[in-house]
Amino acid sequence: MGTRGLAAELDKLRTLPAIGFAIVGAVLTGVVIAGALVASAAAAGTPASVVEIVLAAVPFVQVPIIVLGVLPAGQEYDGRQIATTLVAMPDRARALAGKTMAATAVVGLGTALSVGAALTTGVIAAGVAEVTLTSATAPWRLAGAVGYLTIIGLLAHVVAVALRQLVPALVATLALIVVISPLSAGLTEHARWLPDRAASQLYADTDALLTTATGPLGALAWIAAIGTLAAVRFIRLDP
Amino acid sequence: MSVTGLLAAELRKTVTLPAAWAGIGVAVLGSIALTVLNAVTTRSAIDAGTPERVANTSAFEAAFAAMPLGTVGAVVLGVVMISSEYAANAADAGGGRQITATLTAMPRRMSLLAAKVTVLVLLVIAVAAVTLPTTVGIANAVIGGAATETVTPEQALLRGLGGALYWALTGLIAAAVTLLTRSGLIAPIVLIANNSVVSVSLLLTNLTPLAHWLPDLAGRRLFAGMDTVDGGLAAGPGALVMAAWTVVFLIVAAVVFRRRDA
Repeated sequence: MGTRGLAAELDKLRTLPAIGFAIVGAVLTGVVIAGALVASAAAAGTPASVVEIVLAAVPFVQVPIIVLGVLPAGQEYDGRQIATTLVAMPDRARALAGKTMAATAVVGLGTALSVGAALTTGVIAAGVAEVTLTSATAPWRLAGAVGYLTIIGLLAHVVAVALRQLVPALVATLALIVVISPLSAGLTEHARWLPDRAASQLYADTDALLTTATGPLGALAWIAAIGTLAAVRFIRLDP
Repeated sequence: MSVTGLLAAELRKTVTLPAAWAGIGVAVLGSIALTVLNAVTTRSAIDAGTPERVANTSAFEAAFAAMPLGTVGAVVLGVVMISSEYAANAADAGGGRQITATLTAMPRRMSLLAAKVTVLVLLVIAVAAVTLPTTVGIANAVIGGAATETVTPEQALLRGLGGALYWALTGLIAAAVTLLTRSGLIAPIVLIANNSVVSVSLLLTNLTPLAHWLPDLAGRRLFAGMDTVDGGLAAGPGALVMAAWTVVFLIVAAVVFRRRDA
């Protein structure tokens, strides 16, 4: 039932209109933000590389990615589809594993498409807007951005499984990533241990303590901790 | 139903929602936590003789930096107040929606919407009335006489009122958008993400100066002194533009709510 469980979960996501909207939203966000960043670089006359522009778009693209991460588990509880799911698949550990794999797949797809869209827009817009292009310093950081966004999407997924509600999970993850994290980063150096700050070392190696290797590990520890709580709740408690 | 009865009904429905308390908790407790963090950082910088490490040593600024969390709380309140009416019950409980019961009890839809809007504004004002004095008090207790206050009491009062107005207007826009879409998803995505540090509207000002007229950017001078970009509208006209947006959103939502099937 392993692959069939995954196939069933993917099928549910394929037929969920919100997933399509979120993926389109992720692509459009990548296009619009990259375009706006190129325009502002051209207006300010500052030289920039396309890679830098795409990386600057990442904090904006993470919003639709969070939506993508919350939806697979959250929509089961928006209504009582979870009851049907568990009737069809009583082995809860397997059901959760299939759902997590499906969530990872859809988050990975949205991430790759939006970063690709931002990159394409950056290349085209930089040509049109006559930005002074510098040579790309570290093109591998684009892969780091994809990894970062996937981690953020997975975090949203485990939060949704833990909270078992769609809107609270969305609000909690959004508030943590786009409000609390930037606010506390300006206040205390300990904010580097927040999941998104730690994972951001994948594409922005700026921290004095965490590196490109240890930062994402810190973020994965968060996901493992929340995910364990979520899995225990999902497997042991009434749905 | 009398006016007070209607208001009491809407207030009771809202304060019995766990999600509403989550929003209030984010605004009140989150702001207090952030203020404590900020004030302790500021105090230790002053005690270490390096006040230049922090942007500002004023106790009021230390408390006021937590204002964006209040916006999150207001958005949550505005959303759940409407979305809870449209959320379907469990199938075991009939799968009904509360809006049908609400409209049976109160068929005059405009009065109902007016009551909801009033309750939302009252709740946001109550949250602000608790949060702002508490956080400013905490910041003063922590920083105390170690630094001179650069914000006069009149300025502090004006900025507090401005911030509360911004919260209320954002909450009302959230309620209007939720009523239009009958879904609790759109408003939090757009409003929470956009009121954060990574503001899409702010970025759009690089493309076109018209973006300064978007509701969140027009109203941002209500937080006078917060880190923000130059240009755009001053506090007074900006507040009017944001209020105009709010009224437009509410009117559109009201017309749709009145004309369509529940």
